[in-house]
Amino acid sequence: MSGKTVSLFIQCLVDTMFPETGEAMITVFDRLGIPYDYPMGQTCCGQPAFNSGYRRDAAAAAKHFIELFEEAEVIVCPSGSCVYMVRHHYPELFADDPSMHSRALAIGAKTFEFTQYLVDELGIIDVGAEFPGSVTYHDSCHLSRGLGIADQPRTLLKNVRGLELIEMKDSDTCCGFGGTFSVNYPEISIAMADEKIDNILDTKADAVTGCDISCLMNILGRISRRGEDVRVLHIAQILAGGIGNKGE
Amino acid sequence: MTSQYRVDAQKGIGSPRLQASLHSLQDRFGKGAMALWAGMEDKDMRKRVKKSRMKNFEHLDILLAELAQNVRARGGNVYFAKTAQDAIGYTLEVARKNGVKRVVKGKSMLSMEIAIDPALEDAGIEVVETDLGEYIIQLAGDKPSHIIAPCIHMNRRQIGELFAEKLGVDYTDDPPALTLAARKALREKLLSADMGLTGCNLACAETGHISLVSNEGNIRMATTMPQVHVALMGMERIVATLEEHRETVQLLTRAAALQKLSTYVSFLGGPSSANDPDGPKEFHLVIIDNGRSKILADPEFREVLACIRCGACLNICPVYGRIGGHAYNSPYCGPIGAVITPLLDGINKHADLCKGETLCGACKDICPVQIDLPRMLAALRHKLAYGSDRWNTRQHNPAEAYAFTLWRLLVTRSFLYRTFLKIGRFFQRPFVHKNKMIRKMAGIGSGWTDGRDLPPIAKRTFTELWSQKYNKDLAAQPAVTEEEI
Amino acid sequence: MDNQTAFLTTIRTALDEVPNAERSKKMFPQLFSSPDTTGILKKIRGRTVEEQTELVKILRKNGNSLNICTHIVESFKEAAAVVIELIRTKEPEFNYTKHVIMHDHPDIAALQLWNRFNREAVTLHTTFSRDPHIRDKTIASFIGITAPAIIVADSATLIQITEPGRPRSTSLLPSIHIAIIRRENLVADLAEAYALLREKSRLDSFVFISGPSKTADIEAHMVHGAHGPREVHLVVLSEPLSAQGFEKAPEEMGKHNDSNLMTTSS
Repeated sequence: MSGKTVSLFIQCLVDTMFPETGEAMITVFDRLGIPYDYPMGQTCCGQPAFNSGYRRDAAAAAKHFIELFEEAEVIVCPSGSCVYMVRHHYPELFADDPSMHSRALAIGAKTFEFTQYLVDELGIIDVGAEFPGSVTYHDSCHLSRGLGIADQPRTLLKNVRGLELIEMKDSDTCCGFGGTFSVNYPEISIAMADEKIDNILDTKADAVTGCDISCLMNILGRISRRGEDVRVLHIAQILAGGIGNKGE
Repeated sequence: MTSQYRVDAQKGIGSPRLQASLHSLQDRFGKGAMALWAGMEDKDMRKRVKKSRMKNFEHLDILLAELAQNVRARGGNVYFAKTAQDAIGYTLEVARKNGVKRVVKGKSMLSMEIAIDPALEDAGIEVVETDLGEYIIQLAGDKPSHIIAPCIHMNRRQIGELFAEKLGVDYTDDPPALTLAARKALREKLLSADMGLTGCNLACAETGHISLVSNEGNIRMATTMPQVHVALMGMERIVATLEEHRETVQLLTRAAALQKLSTYVSFLGGPSSANDPDGPKEFHLVIIDNGRSKILADPEFREVLACIRCGACLNICPVYGRIGGHAYNSPYCGPIGAVITPLLDGINKHADLCKGETLCGACKDICPVQIDLPRMLAALRHKLAYGSDRWNTRQHNPAEAYAFTLWRLLVTRSFLYRTFLKIGRFFQRPFVHKNKMIRKMAGIGSGWTDGRDLPPIAKRTFTELWSQKYNKDLAAQPAVTEEEI
Repeated sequence: MDNQTAFLTTIRTALDEVPNAERSKKMFPQLFSSPDTTGILKKIRGRTVEEQTELVKILRKNGNSLNICTHIVESFKEAAAVVIELIRTKEPEFNYTKHVIMHDHPDIAALQLWNRFNREAVTLHTTFSRDPHIRDKTIASFIGITAPAIIVADSATLIQITEPGRPRSTSLLPSIHIAIIRRENLVADLAEAYALLREKSRLDSFVFISGPSKTADIEAHMVHGAHGPREVHLVVLSEPLSAQGFEKAPEEMGKHNDSNLMTTSS
């Protein structure tokens, strides 16, 4: 246990629409005795603007984030894409501003995705969780390809009592979210989501999980509309013991 | 108003035949290439080749001069074409001087990029595609949908019907029989053509050769039997030395079709000698710019010139895998097409290609020369967001830009942000269905709700939960009611 | 030259170099430098018979997966028997008469095919450079016989170098391609092959051939026999020429010296 206080970087989507994921994270930290705080002024890391090309606007969000979180000991986020934004794109945004650039690098160095923090930084592979049922895991793009995180979530899931982990076909193929892509190119986005969901259903798992709420929101939204019978849970919820998800 | 990209994408998505072909292609070649890279003994090869490609661009003027000198030393002709029109003009002049009536073509995306076929046909010259896939496309009056497998979107029955109609052969849907029919039909053309027109996979500056990669033998025939050979070469398709060629060509054939080497690799560098009974008497290398120098000049995009046109990115892209090649409306489809088409032909014109993918990163992983296509797609979106003088791009969507300005206002002022969420939470109430999801939204939101449900803004956001429930230090705060506002 | 000057000037401008100042390769000696191949060449030339035989095995195995038929023979007599059997049993594809076209090469001449078809309607042609009818003879032929200079075991590749008396179309137009190969001309991989190619002072056109022509353009279904030959046969000689006792005029040996890359002199 490093003893560092975790500053929760909760992600705008979790804050706004999936607060239970944030609550699940806190449950896990409480169980493990990890101290945490929550900078109240947090809003959004800027990813939606960046991916749509609006870098000036993204930079403003980045500056807000950096100023807010700069004093944190360590920053943990339940989203691979947000961590990728901070680590990889923040320095890019401030390439022409040496002082902001080094602040961006500094903050990136202490920003971690939730499962990565538990397994790689704290050396914890068993969070004392229980989850009766079978689960399949979706590898989010920025998490797996961008940050190279694929083993850590699986390690944690394998140590959940009662949980059966079933791999789906093409677990690391994109679910079709892509930020504004999902509303600008809906037919393509939904076609990709459908393929992902068919692969999930083929495993006959009780639930699908992942480390990125944006993907899970997309998968959940389509599952709900299709009326399929499979739960969608963020990995934090499973590690907390399965608190429940929307739309049930 | 739905854009042509979306309409064509939907066509692709709605075609079970195309979906089946693409799935099978991606399963075999996309995953196959990834497995190849994972199992490669020489782990540094791709990085090394990428580095040498970029190094060569820094000296491109020297390499091209060396290539030209070596080709000319053998009696070959080299013409440097700045524009598509220059290349067409030169080729037409060569054809005219030689009384060319029939041209046989090896597959060349560059020839499509510059649209040379219509120009030849307008001049009364018969143009015959000899690559089987391209030949089928030509007979059908269609467009190719994949860089390496142009008619992957057609099935054997369609091809059988096409051949019965156009070639006068008995109907069959047996691929070997169909291939044999094409072999017979094209052999006659290949043996009687006056000019062969090909592209160039990789030129080697130090030896003065162009090299062409193929499996069918049509390129060998098109460059051996006619009296004249014109080779069109993108100026970036060049390596400096034989050693670089060896490594680069092996990456190309592995990435394209999981082959150690394609069946044929032809090295050609000039006309055949007077004593040779075959080979062209005239060899013309047309080196083409057509917008590449502008890409070279921009450090943000220079990397895309490293592409060796293997098509691997198509074989792993989940967007291409759903929509197929026609939706890109360009000789270059898939992830590489999404970057190079706007750069060569206009960023505003091809805005959908810049924005119509998820930046998932699979293409970057599979690229034999490790080109960071997602980075460049993001850069193209940046140009569209605010406009770019350098790239003659105007701001593409002022309403969207305005929306993000508002967004910026909110995310940098958390009090405003929180208030905005509270207001949203109030106004969403009529839209929340009894399954606790939002099923219908207007405007841009309909892009989501037409096919998906959306969770509403939570009764209490995490921030509110934190201040009300979890943050023991906020005892001084007034109690907040737990009812909905 | 004008189009070249303008073109290269544009490139130099794009590279932020002085536009009008031509850059010479002498300014960048590293640009065209290549690794030293002495070691590789030594390895190739120092191969023992056992090692070469091993390469033949590898060639055969890799050739099998590419639909290449490999026939390993002990003598020119046996080689000739294989070739004659193929000529007798295979049927022409595009016409009804059997014409065979062969490169002007001592290893092919050594097969002495000219006196083996006295009772059958088989016409043999050799691609002598002075013959003005080679093109038509090649088109009429259903079998083409060559003797490639380099053979790569790893990729089952034949390297045909165009030379006087050895044109390109012989291994291309006929439906069947037979390659007469010497065990000593095998190399292990492309790195070795390229090292040998690099040694040649002047290379005009050459081609790598790795099997019969094929296509998978129709529904990704592999079909062998597209435009090039649909069958490739390798006849691998395991005994060197001198051991056969065939009479060879000394000047004939020396005439093709520069194409025989396995000379140990110089």
